[in-house]
Amino acid sequence: MYKYLLQSVENIHNLAIVPLLVFFLFFLGVFIWALRSSRSYVQHMEQLPLERDPVATTVKTTGHE
Amino acid sequence: MMPTVEKFQYDNAIVQKFALATVIFGVVGMLVGLLIALQLVFPSLNFGLPYTTFGRLRPLHTNAVIFAFVGNGIFMGVYYSLQRLLKTPMYSKFLSNVHFWGWQAIILAAAITLPLGITSSHEYAELEWPIDIAIALVWIVFGINLMGTITRRRENHLYVAIWFYIATWATVTLLHVCNNLVIPVSLFKSYPVFAGVQDALVQWWYGHNAVAFFLTTPYLGMMYYFLPNAANRPVYSYRLSIIHFWALIFIYIWAGPHHLLYTSLPDWAQSLGMVFSLMLIAPSWGGMLNGLLTLRGAWDRVRQDPILKFMVVAVTAYGMSTFEGPMMSIKSFNAITHYTDWTIAHVHVGALGWNGMLTFGVLYWLMPRLYNTQLYSVKLANVHFWLGTLGILFYAIPLYWGGVTQQLMWKQFTPEGFLKYGNFLETVTQIIPMYATRAFGGFLFFAGLFVMIYNLLRTVRSGQLQATETAEAPPRQVHVAHTGEYWHRWLERRSVLLTTLAVVAVAIGGLVEIVPMMWVESNVPKIATVQPYTPLELQGRDLYIREGCMGCHSQMIRPFRSETERYGEFSKSGEFIYDRPFLWGSKRTGPDLHRQGGKYPDSWHYNHLLDPESMSPGSIMPPYPWLITDDLDISDTEAKIRVLQQLGTPSPAGFAQRANEDLREQAAQIVKNLRQDGIKGEALEQKEIIALIAYLQRLGTDIKKMDRPSASN
Repeated sequence: MYKYLLQSVENIHNLAIVPLLVFFLFFLGVFIWALRSSRSYVQHMEQLPLERDPVATTVKTTGHE
Repeated sequence: MMPTVEKFQYDNAIVQKFALATVIFGVVGMLVGLLIALQLVFPSLNFGLPYTTFGRLRPLHTNAVIFAFVGNGIFMGVYYSLQRLLKTPMYSKFLSNVHFWGWQAIILAAAITLPLGITSSHEYAELEWPIDIAIALVWIVFGINLMGTITRRRENHLYVAIWFYIATWATVTLLHVCNNLVIPVSLFKSYPVFAGVQDALVQWWYGHNAVAFFLTTPYLGMMYYFLPNAANRPVYSYRLSIIHFWALIFIYIWAGPHHLLYTSLPDWAQSLGMVFSLMLIAPSWGGMLNGLLTLRGAWDRVRQDPILKFMVVAVTAYGMSTFEGPMMSIKSFNAITHYTDWTIAHVHVGALGWNGMLTFGVLYWLMPRLYNTQLYSVKLANVHFWLGTLGILFYAIPLYWGGVTQQLMWKQFTPEGFLKYGNFLETVTQIIPMYATRAFGGFLFFAGLFVMIYNLLRTVRSGQLQATETAEAPPRQVHVAHTGEYWHRWLERRSVLLTTLAVVAVAIGGLVEIVPMMWVESNVPKIATVQPYTPLELQGRDLYIREGCMGCHSQMIRPFRSETERYGEFSKSGEFIYDRPFLWGSKRTGPDLHRQGGKYPDSWHYNHLLDPESMSPGSIMPPYPWLITDDLDISDTEAKIRVLQQLGTPSPAGFAQRANEDLREQAAQIVKNLRQDGIKGEALEQKEIIALIAYLQRLGTDIKKMDRPSASN
């Protein structure tokens, strides 16, 4: 079955290498992205879900039940 | 210079509506689940009615839980968190309401059509084409509202939760469209454009990613929002969440074929599915650890706070099921777990544990806020927590045990080389106590739900709904690029580009797997003796679909000696080229039926469908008396044949018009056989059961007509 498909498409080997490279480069990119994010950016993002309480005016701001 | 501050109002009313729907459909979905769990212990609970048999109620249960309970839960979480993360109200209140009522109307349509047996048979995509179109429209409304809100935001940066929401929206769109490509026969019946192996691959590419992008990614987004809020501290590592997101959506989409291991799907696709499933452990556990470690230094509060307890169990269940899933994708392990109740246990650790417990945690956190009050009783929430947690354990453990027991019994040979449990029924009756314990676990979980409802009702009564909530924030700053900024920040400010990239990320996986499969049809040598179904068999097959037989019976014999001994020659891909839809099934509560044809006389099937216990004492299969009393509807035979012809099923010119003549001839022959065996009954020729017998007797017989007993896969 697999051979059959291989024969039916020319240069199928390149087709297998390309996704591998795409994956590798993509993950490398994501890692570099994540690791090189600046501290101030990360701190800002971390606080995003939390910072609504001081802003909201009608809902109690004291933590949870 | 400080920018001016703008005042605006969050829409809480829409969140409250979705919360209410979440609770209501939680009750409905789990009630149906409890009923079908009990049907496996007490078959009389099928009530002898078509609308209440297991085969029709199982899709109702799965659809209600996935799309009604979890679906409304997603929208509740998205509509609450999106406004606050972006510091803006929703784009359009009108669209929010269209979304809400449209979604509830679809649920209603599902609740009516599924018990009526109107189904496409694709698991978790059972709804017929008019409802599919409605789903697409409502989903687009949601998408416009989502993207519109993002463009109107006052916050420059998109928090990771929003990435998960965007990926959810984009991918579900893609999946829904691809898996519902059909040609209608009538308003309530259609045939898929893909057949056999291709249909199976597209379906499980969808089915797996429905789990990924409906039950997982939106809930991860909710985890990243509500868990830090409940714990009152930021997420453990935002950097990890970036890697979590991209790795998860990139890898998830490839894993679908693990649902089809050892089937007629080509080996390369199976291997691909297995490898990517194993890789999935990394991002899944990265996300789980990110959630759990958010609580570092706050574990003392977990002891006291039921909301955190719910969330901890939810995230732990996520970790458990995302470890278990990749393990089950290893072929040799899958050989043991597949078709058994292990799978059912696995999905319920996800559904009850991850989705259920997280939903409950969010509701307990959210409702007091929406009503500007305090939770009525922390004690009752703790009671609910323990009922839920024990419910999951009582649900899952017996099914793991039962699943392994049954598979080992299927595979057990005597020293002489015969199957030790040649009668499938023995392997069913053995695990009925496990089914009973599972139903008890389900009952505990269900009971907990009512404890929550009481608690939330009292909470709601003590406060007042804050339909809108005033907030203020400075307008969005016009961004000026500065040094030290990386491209990703540029990227996530551009939500459309982010959406596009997310689609590309998931589309690559889909394309690589599915496109080569579309070539298969022209590459696989067809099996010469495999012919299209006759009109009567076709009608019978559609009855098989209507009654949901594939919920309990597979039609896929794996190439194991234990299976070929029990059922006959293993299934070949070439045998399914006229199967629209494919009916391989995913669970064997009853035996495989692929080589059922010719195994028993027609009268056996007649008696068995009328009263399964008369032929198989102790059977838990429901009786189907209406098949014997109801006339077969042959008004659509011609239309069905025509649609199949359009799709490439070969038949001679003018065959569609003659189809009903052909049908009557074949029916007469079957009735003759039945009469010979002493079956009485008037006008048998016109009854539905004749068509179903015709189909069952045809199953898997085509390759037996070949000179050589086996064909190459």
